[in-house]
Amino acid sequence: MLNSVIAGLTSGGVYALLGLCVVLTYRLVAVVNFSMAAVGSMGAFVMVTLTDTGLNAWLALVVGAVAGAVLAALLGAVLVRWFGEHDERTKAAVTVGVYVALMAVGLRLFGNTTSGARRFPAPFDAPAFTVGSVVVPQSVLVSLAFAVLITVGVGLLLSRTRVGLRLQALSERPSTAQVVGIPAPRLAVAVWAAIGAISTLVIVLVAPRLGGDFSTLGKLINTALAVAMLGAFRSLPLTLAGGVVLGLLEGLSASLEAIQQYRGIVPFLVILVLLWWRSRGEIWDTAHSR
Amino acid sequence: MSGEILRLRDVSISRGEVPIVHDVSLDVVPGAVTLILGANGAGKTTLMDGIAGLVRNTSGTIHLDGVAIERFPTYRRAQAGLGYVEQSRTVFRTLTVEQNLLVSQAGKGDLDMVYRLFPELEKRRNLQAGHLSGGEQQMVVLGRALISDPKVVLIDEMSLGLAPVIVSRLMKAVGDLVGLGIAVLLIEQFAHLALEVGTNAYVLRKGRVIFSGPCEELRGADQRLHELYFGAAPATAADTAAPVARPVAQPVAAGTPAVPSDGPEPEGGTR
Repeated sequence: MLNSVIAGLTSGGVYALLGLCVVLTYRLVAVVNFSMAAVGSMGAFVMVTLTDTGLNAWLALVVGAVAGAVLAALLGAVLVRWFGEHDERTKAAVTVGVYVALMAVGLRLFGNTTSGARRFPAPFDAPAFTVGSVVVPQSVLVSLAFAVLITVGVGLLLSRTRVGLRLQALSERPSTAQVVGIPAPRLAVAVWAAIGAISTLVIVLVAPRLGGDFSTLGKLINTALAVAMLGAFRSLPLTLAGGVVLGLLEGLSASLEAIQQYRGIVPFLVILVLLWWRSRGEIWDTAHSR
Repeated sequence: MSGEILRLRDVSISRGEVPIVHDVSLDVVPGAVTLILGANGAGKTTLMDGIAGLVRNTSGTIHLDGVAIERFPTYRRAQAGLGYVEQSRTVFRTLTVEQNLLVSQAGKGDLDMVYRLFPELEKRRNLQAGHLSGGEQQMVVLGRALISDPKVVLIDEMSLGLAPVIVSRLMKAVGDLVGLGIAVLLIEQFAHLALEVGTNAYVLRKGRVIFSGPCEELRGADQRLHELYFGAAPATAADTAAPVARPVAQPVAAGTPAVPSDGPEPEGGTR
């Protein structure tokens, strides 16, 4: 039991990070980005392809993150350039399209769940400490610390710096932001690039534990969206907590024999319950006309 | 006219694929208020949006202080010294008053300058702008334009939905902007009020300039204004679609039907 809770915590940190990327994309550029994990996976596979050829892992990580950033920035530029005036649903649909395309390309290039597992470097596999009989690997601490760092760092960036204020202004009123002299397109593409790079790092962090095949990693978007919903697509601390909760739920479901094989649907259940909970008092027609 | 800071020559503007503004030429001089008048749907807001770069100008030139800005994206026009007070009080609602000002701070603009103009705002500097009253929000938007150290400020229907006492307070602030040597281009539904503060006026009808000249010519000339707005003198007392036009007892051109110029032009209130 304790074992699976610890395992859950390891995932929890990563899930929190994925959720944070989704929430940040939504808050800053107002797009629900379904392709985020797939973009991150592309970056991660660029990295692992390079390490397979014998390149130094850290150098490969940098190249992979840059690749993820460039891919995300391209998507961002397309959305800014051609879908700037469209509503959130249309933009989300575009990212779904990109997600499907990336998954197809990824399968073609990197193989499926059985043939495509790559050996990702796992520098944080060493045990950090033991609780009772359970060994806690460093990766738990690394992913949780990374998640906390991003939550706090982004919070400070948004509220304390000029660029943060500009990002908030941009997310609230894109056209007025331009009217007051904020270079909106450039800033939005920069946000996309940053999130692409972070997604790549997160995917690299989680890849060794999940088997390291493209399709599993790209589909992490399901979990990421569930976590983002726990944070109401707005609150960074709640998203962080949501990631940990979801990780624990998954760890728990893995430890119970009866439901073990269904644990993949945990994110969907969470989404379903949240949708019901959040709309319990609402009148559908008006509440969702935003 | 020489000494103009903003100069439009033969500017045409489309919203989507629909041409709204046709061949407008106008000059805005520093230290004065230039008015754009016209009925609903005449293309006033589209003209403003076109100058600010929010909608596409299809032809013509726009010079700001000698620099051609008609190909600039919106934010570069702002950086070049164009302030824009949009319709419907576009504060950043989740930012505080002070943050609203700081995001657009540029050049010589500073907070003290804004707080001197609007002492009300200093008291509320740490309040989220969404919680302010309508008048205060409009002050934030005006202050936000001022702090960007603009050469020209475009103001679109500042008085919309505000109490008269607030409107005259804001109009006084516009006068203070002018006192700082800033050029103001103003759209205002209350033409009487605007003609008090304005120096030159342009009247638009169906996207074309049909009158340009000093404001004195239009002050108190209700019938003239009505003709300019609608292309005909008021026919009946009931025909008072324009807020400027008080019913005139003796319609002059009674033979001409007084049809309001309700062309297909959208006013662009929804963004």
